[in-house]
Amino acid sequence: MSKAYEKNTITEDGQLLLKKAERDQIETVWDRYEAQLPQCGYCEMGLSCRVCVMGPCRVDPFGEGPQKGVCGADGDIIVARNLCRMIAAGAAAHSDHGRDLVEVLAEVAEGRAPGYEIKDMEKLKRVAAEYNIETEGKDPLKIAGELAHAMQEDFGTRKKELTLVKTAPEKRQELWKKIGVMPRGIDREISETMHRTHMGVDNGWQSLLLHGIRNALSDGWGGSMIATEVSDILFGTPAPKLTAANVGVLKEDQVNIVVHGHNPVVSEMIMLACQSPEMLKLAEEKGAKGINLAGVCCTGNELLMRHGVPMAGNHLVSELVLTTGAVEMMIVDYQCIMPSMGDVAACYHTRMISTSDKARFPGMTHREFHPDNARELAKELVTAAIENFENRGEVYIPVEPVNAIGGFSVETIVAALGGTPQPLIDAIAAGKIRGAVGVVGCNNPKIKHDYGHVTLTKRLIENDILVVDTGCAAIANAKAGFKVADAIEFAGPGLKEICGSLGIPPVLHMGSCVDNARILVLASALAKAMKTDISDLPLAAAAPEWYSEKAVSIGVYTVASGVYTVLGPMPPITGSMNVVRLLTDGLNDVVGAAFGVEPDPEKAAVLIRRHIEEKRENLGLPFMKL
Amino acid sequence: MKKVVVHPERCVGCMQCMIACATAHSQTKNLFSATLEDPLPRPRVHVGAGLYGEGFPNRCRHCDPAPCMFACLPGAIYRDWETDTVLIDPDKCINCASCAMACPFGVIRYHEDASAPLKKTVAVKCDNCLERQNQGLIPACVEVCKSRALTFEDPSDAMKRKTNEVAQSLSSDTSRIEIAPGFTLLNTIKRTQVELKIEN
Repeated sequence: MSKAYEKNTITEDGQLLLKKAERDQIETVWDRYEAQLPQCGYCEMGLSCRVCVMGPCRVDPFGEGPQKGVCGADGDIIVARNLCRMIAAGAAAHSDHGRDLVEVLAEVAEGRAPGYEIKDMEKLKRVAAEYNIETEGKDPLKIAGELAHAMQEDFGTRKKELTLVKTAPEKRQELWKKIGVMPRGIDREISETMHRTHMGVDNGWQSLLLHGIRNALSDGWGGSMIATEVSDILFGTPAPKLTAANVGVLKEDQVNIVVHGHNPVVSEMIMLACQSPEMLKLAEEKGAKGINLAGVCCTGNELLMRHGVPMAGNHLVSELVLTTGAVEMMIVDYQCIMPSMGDVAACYHTRMISTSDKARFPGMTHREFHPDNARELAKELVTAAIENFENRGEVYIPVEPVNAIGGFSVETIVAALGGTPQPLIDAIAAGKIRGAVGVVGCNNPKIKHDYGHVTLTKRLIENDILVVDTGCAAIANAKAGFKVADAIEFAGPGLKEICGSLGIPPVLHMGSCVDNARILVLASALAKAMKTDISDLPLAAAAPEWYSEKAVSIGVYTVASGVYTVLGPMPPITGSMNVVRLLTDGLNDVVGAAFGVEPDPEKAAVLIRRHIEEKRENLGLPFMKL
Repeated sequence: MKKVVVHPERCVGCMQCMIACATAHSQTKNLFSATLEDPLPRPRVHVGAGLYGEGFPNRCRHCDPAPCMFACLPGAIYRDWETDTVLIDPDKCINCASCAMACPFGVIRYHEDASAPLKKTVAVKCDNCLERQNQGLIPACVEVCKSRALTFEDPSDAMKRKTNEVAQSLSSDTSRIEIAPGFTLLNTIKRTQVELKIEN
């Protein structure tokens, strides 16, 4: 195996397919990254500003060249403005995803969304109760309609604060009120960020960042949480399911359809069509042994969580999945879909379909999904995929899939614990489990693919720290084999004992990237049960390979919720040591948690373990000095 | 005599020198119209990526003696003694690439150029922006570099500054003062990222 492939990814399928891609002359994300080197230092440091047309401007980090933009903004202001705009974009992405689900819920209530239905009645009632909607003896569709309406109000500006923030521990809510970051409306906070960062508005780097926190909270406890809750109502609350991961989930003798993107609105309908007898019969007629649906990225995670649909790969291998030549059709919606996908597909028989009215891509056929046409359109697309089976050329599926268990919603975890989080708290108090960490986030060619996620997770579980994961991190850990019951062999003695007795893996798959809201709900439940704040708990989060604006928003709302968060790659803030110091230290005095940055997962594990032991000490629990 | 001096430790890798160089050697001298020209103007300075993805602006050193000049059989490469600049006469250039083989720094490129006869591929490299200097302007790469990685000054002035920096860093009673701690922090992270890829 050539060194270059090993340098890029730790995964066997990734290395083998990179070799294939090179032979097929496919340009990948790693080639384009190399071509971009060196990357612009002003931009890496957050010191370039394109906000207005007196500029663009940049500030010389060495102090000799210009120290202010044309408007007079210095490095602190420019860095803070840029960071806030990243938060706004991330919050917008998650929240707009949530909005699309709420719209489907509204259409279901009106009976205009054939194929969609209310799958989890209990959750519908529970969430409706949070919104003060009377549910007793009421028609579920009427409840759904009222809930959709109430949620749509959360996006607008009619309220003083978002509804679901009240599910946070009381101490946390008081803190948010005290420092003035209680989110008032999802769209409002995003809009206000864009206003504040306009030239000549908010030029206090601290007040800008404080609003950035409010904006991120409107995502975590607003848009993302709504997305998760409504997805559960419409498609069912996840429960543990056996699944598999890596490119080996593609099948040589079946029609392979891959969904890529984020929103279950499209992928759920595709799945239904794939299962219909009519489609299966057609596939057989065309010489295939069946229809194999697999996922890439988070829409895959959504299907994995609810139905055990297998996962072909995460962000960085999305192009490589196509180089197998085994994919009849890839259906995408939005977010994290590289615009290069159409170019890669053009070298094979793969048909590429874009489905969202807000997301188009070169080299893809656009077939727009709406609640009213989704069921029929899904059938049309699956038919086209089946008909494409006979156009297959050479197929290369070099590995066997790795088994995994997914589907750990908060509801399932609490149920597994016997209906209350108390057993988990007891295990933490006894020191069998030292604490819990959310390992989340993307892939980034700056970090060897999956190395950050897998190494960190391994170090944490072997030190008796329970790991919950989402997004591309969750797929990395599934591929690494951490998600079968036998994976307790990787865990330390205490975690092994607890997970072994419950029959669960030491790494719990909690869903897609909007499902980080589930982690917030879990942390909140623990804090409430212990009658304290989230920031007092032995918890941490990590995004070892993050790349996207969404990840910035997630990181900020996680820290603002009181959880120490270690990032792998450095965000573009080093142009202002004031901002660096605030985010990595000063925030401790503001929200009781801060960021760390450490690209080396071995060292990140030490930082996290040290943090967890400190929290244990403060709680009066048995602790270790590290 | 003033010369372009490179300070590699200050290069942030923004590549603005490349864009400015290409524009300065275009026919219209304007970035937007330059992108529409035929032949497309190309830069004479090239930013390379170091071991850790850090930038380095690589330009002709105008060596003396210049290996490229000795290697040039048709005698197209000559020295302008007044400005101490090594220049290439595009009319005499035969596109043989001998100069590239001789150049220790890899700064010569071969392509069509507005200064050359139509459709003729010639050797092209930095000309110290003599055209701009004649108009009282400094070289384009220096003008656009906001981090002072490229300066236009008497090399002995630059060396004197460097001497003082070295002297200060060795002062016994002062700890070394970082000129840009954020940039050092960024580079530490980038170095770690690359080392992890190589080591693991």
